[in-house]
Amino acid sequence: MTRKKRDNLVSGGIILFSVFVLAWVIPNFTPPYPGYGVSSALLPNVVFGLILALSLLSLTTNIISDFRNKSAVNNKNQAEKNDVPVVNRVHLWHLMSIMIPCLLLFPAMRLVGFVPAALVFLILMQYFCGQRKPLILLIVSTCTVGIMYLAMRYGLGVPMP
Amino acid sequence: MFDLIIAGFMDSLTIANLLFVLLGVTLGMIAGAVPGVNGPMAIALCVPLSYYMSPMTAIGFLVGLNKGAFYGGAISGVLLNTPGTPEAAATSWDGYPLSKQGKGEKALRMALYGSVSGDFFATWVLILVAAPLAAVALYMGPPEIFALICLAMTIIAGIGSSSMTRGLIAAALGIFIGTIGMEPVSALPRLTFGLYQLERGIALIPIGIGMLAFSEIIIQLERSRANGAGEATLEFSKKPEDRFVSFAEFRRSIKTIFRSSIAGTIVGAMPGLGAPVASFFAYDRAKKASKNPENYGKGELDGIVASESANSAVCASALIPLFTLGIPGNVASALLIGAFVIHGMIPGPLMFEQNARFIYSIYSSLIMANIFLLVVGRLGLRASCKAVSAPKTILYPIIIFTCLMGSYLGAYNTFDVILMLFFAFLAYFMNKWGFSHICFIIGFILSPIWETALQQVIIVSQLDTFMFFKRPVAVILMIITFYIVIKTTINTFKKTAK
Repeated sequence: MTRKKRDNLVSGGIILFSVFVLAWVIPNFTPPYPGYGVSSALLPNVVFGLILALSLLSLTTNIISDFRNKSAVNNKNQAEKNDVPVVNRVHLWHLMSIMIPCLLLFPAMRLVGFVPAALVFLILMQYFCGQRKPLILLIVSTCTVGIMYLAMRYGLGVPMP
Repeated sequence: MFDLIIAGFMDSLTIANLLFVLLGVTLGMIAGAVPGVNGPMAIALCVPLSYYMSPMTAIGFLVGLNKGAFYGGAISGVLLNTPGTPEAAATSWDGYPLSKQGKGEKALRMALYGSVSGDFFATWVLILVAAPLAAVALYMGPPEIFALICLAMTIIAGIGSSSMTRGLIAAALGIFIGTIGMEPVSALPRLTFGLYQLERGIALIPIGIGMLAFSEIIIQLERSRANGAGEATLEFSKKPEDRFVSFAEFRRSIKTIFRSSIAGTIVGAMPGLGAPVASFFAYDRAKKASKNPENYGKGELDGIVASESANSAVCASALIPLFTLGIPGNVASALLIGAFVIHGMIPGPLMFEQNARFIYSIYSSLIMANIFLLVVGRLGLRASCKAVSAPKTILYPIIIFTCLMGSYLGAYNTFDVILMLFFAFLAYFMNKWGFSHICFIIGFILSPIWETALQQVIIVSQLDTFMFFKRPVAVILMIITFYIVIKTTINTFKKTAK
């Protein structure tokens, strides 16, 4: 995917999202005008109006330039392909491998307790980060969880999750 | 007035406060030295801890952290050619060649002296300039504040991101997120989607930690997986002339330090420009002014001090717009606003009237942090060199766990953890698609001030339609804003059409 194609897709997505927010989210989730001052929907409407206008501008600029320089664009495309930051399946898997354990950590803490859940979490995280030595996995997890537990429970007096 | 200054300084010179400033400087230095970890990330992680400190200690600690991280960034830049912070990139151009010659320690010492000198200069400018500027700022009404925020956002969006359109979209999204919660006029929940947890609004902590720390770690991990981790070997010469900076060498660099400190202070006082711009600009100036420009990039001590004194000057001078106008100059100042708000203070010109003593105690903490930086930097030089080679496989999981616990600490609420993960997710894709998360955070921080100013302008203009045009400062600021937007749009259109 070239940078322009990606930008067009992103701008298109933002335009659709802005229309959805302006047409449905803001009218349904902002309180009615109280009869004094300014409507509470004003700022969200202004902000998403601006986002919509800027995305349309960005998309229009790209489309016009594509239309004008169709042949030149084709030559440029190959060169641009390499410098576009990609989000492919590998990246998504990598993202999920970190996000999912993080999302599950707090429910797990409620279920089995802070220490065991945090220990398993840290071992998993270290494994995903490339650590393969079992002794280091154990030492780092135990020390981190121990320090965090002591600091939160006895140092700051925080109610544990 | 003089009594107030003395009282403010004395307030900050307590053992507890000094210890926390020292701790902040040390932690900041370590954080800055570790590639992939930076000052804003360290501040974002430590803001929740500031709940448990007194306001003075908390701000002193965070200010120390910021200062330490600015210098810390140079350590990995000089020793590994991997700048810990973007502003340290110019430092590594001359620092790394010196390091390869075994003079890494000397390069780090010079960077330290440059950093401390630049910071010292900018701190005094802040002290001398902030109060008079704040007095002028007090005459600004809602139209001027509204126009000033529009201008600041435009500058930040234009300079802080790859394209102004994307910067403005990110800032607008940040403002939108800032509108979630209680509506200030009607005091009714707005955009809460029926979730009672959103009624109090979204706090800065989940956004700061998610966008600055968590997403950054995910991206760093992705990069290190793609590139593979390389082990660096550090060698230090034992000769005194390769280890220490002589007085003559320092004296030769004084001119560069002074020039770069001025450049850094001016750049830092302008919202959005930031430390990287200051350090590259100062480096370029120093090279052009040098008698031996060919030595730059090969291990020139002047190149190191130019970059370091400029970027460290930004650290203090970025507080000028924060204290005088309530507008953050960079992301670290934006996070400091969050810390001020946590402790019941709103940065801006009124602070000099309402919390003058507190401001003077912050000045004192800034000076103390600078002294501590010199001491810690000198004593902990070898120890901080070790931090640069901290293994990522150990460091990153610990940071991820700290991010999760830090966002929980803000309100003892797992909902904030989910929010933090959501914003990390958002920042990840914003980064991939070229949207600046810095603009998003600054938009979020400025959202309540902007909304209040906008509402006041509209309410008053219902009584006087031409009210805005009767305020020349506001009109000039808006004209500059429109000029920047239109000029950038035309330039972008021309560039894309080519």
